[in-house]
Amino acid sequence: MPDARHDNPAPQTQHPPRRVDSGQGRHGGQAGEILALAYRYRVYLLAAAIFAVMGAIAPNFATVGNGAAVLKAAATNLLAAAGFTIVMISGQLDLSVGSAMTLGGMMAIGLQPQLGVAGSFVAALLAGLVLGLINGLLVAKARINSFIVTLGTMIVVQNAVFIYCGGGTIPAATFDVQDVLQRPLVAGLTLQILIPFILAALLAVVLRRTPIGHGFYLLGGNPQTAWYSGLAVNRYVIGAFALSGMLSTLGGAVVAMSEANANPTLGDSSLMTIVAAVIIGGTSMQGGKGSLMGTAVALVALAALVNGLSCRGEGYEVQLMAGGLVLASIILYDAYALHRREKTRGQRKDLLKELRE
Amino acid sequence: MSSSPSIPADPRAAAPSRLHETLNVLGVYVLVIALFGIGCLISDEFLTRNNLMNTLQAVTLLGIVSIGVAFITYSRHYVDLSIPGIMSLAGIVAVSALPYGFAASLAAGLGAGLAIGLINGWVIGHLRLNPIIWTLAMMSVLSGVIRKAYAGAQVYPDQATPAGAAFLDLYHAKLAGVVPLPLAILIVLAIAGCFVMRWTGFGARLKLTGSSYEVARMTGVNVQRTIMAAFVLSALTSAIAGILLTSFNKVGASYIGKGYDFAAITAVVIGGMTLAGGRGHIVGMLGGVMVIALMNNIMGLVRIEEMSLSGHVILRNFTFSEFHKAIVQGVVFILVVGLNSYSRRKSGLDDA
Amino acid sequence: MSESGVALQMVGVSKQYPGTLAVDHVDFTVYAGEVHALIGENGAGKSTLMKIIAGSFGDYTGRLMINSREVPLHSPAIAKANGIQMIHQELSLAPPLSIAENVMAGRLPTCGPFLNRAAMLAEARRCLARVGLDLDPETPVEEISQHEAQLVEIAKALGNNPCILVMDEPTSALGRDEVARLFEIIRNLRRQGLAIIYISHHLPEVLEIADRVTVMRDGRRVATEEIRNVTSEQLVEMMVGRSVSNLYAARKAQPGQVRLRVEHLSRYGFFHDVSFDVRAGEVLGIGGLSGAGRSELARSICGIDPIDSGAMTLDGRPLRPASYGAAIRRGLAYLTEDRKTQGLALRMSVAENILAPMIQRHSHGGVYRAGCGTTLLDRLMRLLDVYPPEPRRMVATLSGGNQQKALLAKWLATDPQVLILDEPTRGVDVGAKVILHRAIAEVADQGRCVVLISSDLPELVGLSDRIAIMRRGHFIGEIPRADATEAAVLLAANGEGALVST
Repeated sequence: MPDARHDNPAPQTQHPPRRVDSGQGRHGGQAGEILALAYRYRVYLLAAAIFAVMGAIAPNFATVGNGAAVLKAAATNLLAAAGFTIVMISGQLDLSVGSAMTLGGMMAIGLQPQLGVAGSFVAALLAGLVLGLINGLLVAKARINSFIVTLGTMIVVQNAVFIYCGGGTIPAATFDVQDVLQRPLVAGLTLQILIPFILAALLAVVLRRTPIGHGFYLLGGNPQTAWYSGLAVNRYVIGAFALSGMLSTLGGAVVAMSEANANPTLGDSSLMTIVAAVIIGGTSMQGGKGSLMGTAVALVALAALVNGLSCRGEGYEVQLMAGGLVLASIILYDAYALHRREKTRGQRKDLLKELRE
Repeated sequence: MSSSPSIPADPRAAAPSRLHETLNVLGVYVLVIALFGIGCLISDEFLTRNNLMNTLQAVTLLGIVSIGVAFITYSRHYVDLSIPGIMSLAGIVAVSALPYGFAASLAAGLGAGLAIGLINGWVIGHLRLNPIIWTLAMMSVLSGVIRKAYAGAQVYPDQATPAGAAFLDLYHAKLAGVVPLPLAILIVLAIAGCFVMRWTGFGARLKLTGSSYEVARMTGVNVQRTIMAAFVLSALTSAIAGILLTSFNKVGASYIGKGYDFAAITAVVIGGMTLAGGRGHIVGMLGGVMVIALMNNIMGLVRIEEMSLSGHVILRNFTFSEFHKAIVQGVVFILVVGLNSYSRRKSGLDDA
Repeated sequence: MSESGVALQMVGVSKQYPGTLAVDHVDFTVYAGEVHALIGENGAGKSTLMKIIAGSFGDYTGRLMINSREVPLHSPAIAKANGIQMIHQELSLAPPLSIAENVMAGRLPTCGPFLNRAAMLAEARRCLARVGLDLDPETPVEEISQHEAQLVEIAKALGNNPCILVMDEPTSALGRDEVARLFEIIRNLRRQGLAIIYISHHLPEVLEIADRVTVMRDGRRVATEEIRNVTSEQLVEMMVGRSVSNLYAARKAQPGQVRLRVEHLSRYGFFHDVSFDVRAGEVLGIGGLSGAGRSELARSICGIDPIDSGAMTLDGRPLRPASYGAAIRRGLAYLTEDRKTQGLALRMSVAENILAPMIQRHSHGGVYRAGCGTTLLDRLMRLLDVYPPEPRRMVATLSGGNQQKALLAKWLATDPQVLILDEPTRGVDVGAKVILHRAIAEVADQGRCVVLISSDLPELVGLSDRIAIMRRGHFIGEIPRADATEAAVLLAANGEGALVST
């Protein structure tokens, strides 16, 4: 998959053989350094900017209750987005996360009469696991492009869910779970918010701080290297998809159980939000680069944007536009940063010095 | 996006013959013929003129959109996800321009599509942004803009004015009294598309660009303009389909065209074009569209009175709903692509 | 040389690819404490043989013994577990990851379930120091230069403490000092008792570093000799299977009028104030170390990269191409050094690749007639002896040498007035080299200008009428043909020697 810029898909390292002097500055000048820093922390800057602007222009935005509302909106997609991030770090794509969320919600609620709350919850997780395994096996073993595979499974799952529920919303058999999930624990934070965030934090630690996590980065960075390093490449690919499937159905289940009903359109708009958040969060479509922290911050930023706009009484259409514009400007900025880097790549410092003399 | 490392092709491996390549293009027609056979077996209704016409009509618009998408896929830029937005924009703009006359309305609709295509093409071709992400953002912005501009309302062509009547008649018009206008447009565009892709300098440059962007650039090809042209072509075909769809629905609305982006890439890929770029043929892609059409039609004809498995009745009075059809389509999609890429690997056309 | 025992023994090893036997019953023995060179033309099977050792294939036949124990090397993990490390010709680092993560891939130090970051960085630093690299191990690999990346690759392999080390063209991206340093490391490892298999096209290197040499041809082992018993000429004969006399035919150099004139050309930060001219029928060599700015100069002349100041004329008319396409139309052609990503579209056919720059010229009223190029294609493929002579064949299935011939054919197709060649024979076997050189000389003899950028000194000296030396972005002088020797060029490229005259 191509990066923010669309480039050669070959996983090999292709360094233009230009720079000869190492050790000299990697980015030109102080302005360059500031730009590089801004580039690295752009998702935080973006989040700060959105919060500042919304706090200034949207009434009732900067309140504790609303803060919880923003986090709740972010939490809705967080688990699926985490799965999506891991798959993308591994150099693949999982378009089925949205429909997997719907599937998870539907199973966790719809099976309650037969399996009980715990049973249906486990069934939802298992369904996600199976979906992920199918995706992973088709990508790793049958070597089909993951865009195709997950596009196909997305359509299949979406429609299967519709058939199952007849297109309508299914109410929960019991409201006990909703009470538990929706009860504020600290500062308006409910389990519905805490579960995804805590789980995402744990995953972030695994991804960053364990050899297994590094395996995903290595795989995405260069599958050939990963293979020669003795990494069980296929197992990692399948694992990434399995994780993504399970996290998505789990996320969907948590949302549905908190709402005490399962809606067949639950995950419909999620894919768009998730892709936007993961890209804004700095995960590279080429794989090998990215972080769950970035994804989470981007999700919160996007949720704040939508929330702030609705605080101002703006409708869905403005939210759509604003979300699209934020995504567009981030990738335009990415392209600009890359362009800058490439323009000066391989420049010789000693020659530039000579110019000034 | 290979998952396992590829073993570099052996220098002395068997040469892929032209036959293989032809088979890859025409392979989808084996499926078409098979489906045709199944259709004849399953129902007497299948082989009637009426039914076949319906089958065709159901995918005419998809076919038109897919021709444009084929150029994008050919250039290794996957798909334009803003297609639904372009379709609804073209339709809604065309309806809004009806008071200025029929021709102005069509021009305005096509112009709107062209404008979006130019923006997409410029940003993706010149600034090298990822096509999936950019068009996703574009889709979001477009649908927001349409909803905002029309305040979520739908616009209806006015049947009373001659322009409005002509517009509403667009989809149902028949050329020479037999060929429906959309089908005629599809045929003309398909022939034109085929010609452009195979026989023009632009097509050759597009193939080179799709096969390897860097090589094309280092061969003196103006890659930016080439990629831009692919997106413009796709936007134009989407706009045409959008106008026709609006005429069919008798209403311009922001939701028109939903799903056409993924449906088109499905058709294109079933038709033997690979996401890796530079491979495939419009003729094959039309086969992909026909596969979808025939599958849907045949499933529509199937009625299972009763099906039992070891004494238990598992299905009674079963007919395929839209959802069942979509599921079957999804499965077939994966299977066909898997089979395609497998045979391509085996025949040495792809080394990965 | 120590005779401490057999480290690796291959008995009757074969590997079948669809259609051909790439390695054909090869017996091959490497002793601990020796540097064993493996040479052969492209497609002789040496890379496949090494891939077998590295565990790339699950389906080779024959027996492999490591320390006299038979081991089935069916995956890289098994190879690694048996102390085999390979330094790949095409760098196999993960660009987005840091140097440390690359060097330590597959053996990350842990502390409980967690990664021990400090230990990882410390160990990575130690590995880098071993190859003389002083880089921050947290730098992403995509930000370092190619020769640094090559050293990182070597550091990574050494870090695994191998018993058997396979090096596939390890010096292709290295400068002279780095090669010297690498050889020091290799000698050191040999003293420690490692078995080193050294694959190279560069015979002087082989003669310098190896203890024994094995020659392969057509998938079979031709000979294994003590290095002191063979000469360069004998090795070439064994590789090619016939005697190759006089690689560089004498050029009938009668340069005519000045055709291309470059005056004070600069692209800031890449090359400054470069002036030269090329006459009709002349081959101007440009010598220099890697990174001296030679490729950048060529790219700017052709309009691929911008020019900041200076002027050019071609046949007296000003030349300032707005794009590479415009430059090609004016009769310029640049053969890139990066064949696989910039030169040839590997998944397209030979014909499509060779005729790619002709699309414009063979289009009439927008209609492209590929058939227009058939005669041209036939002529070029015959001229350069592209094997197999099947225009429909996918380029990826050709050997490296034949790919390079196709690449030259692609630019000859445009009938260029100024042909700029950037490492036209890198990694190419002797047979293909002879053909390429002949074709290049022929272009010049037709009164065209040829600019030859090469790090292959015999080639540069043998083909050029004059050699301009580029160093750190400047032209520092010119060596006339009469004075051109490999030593003179090398000294000049390093800024030494008295032969530099401006």
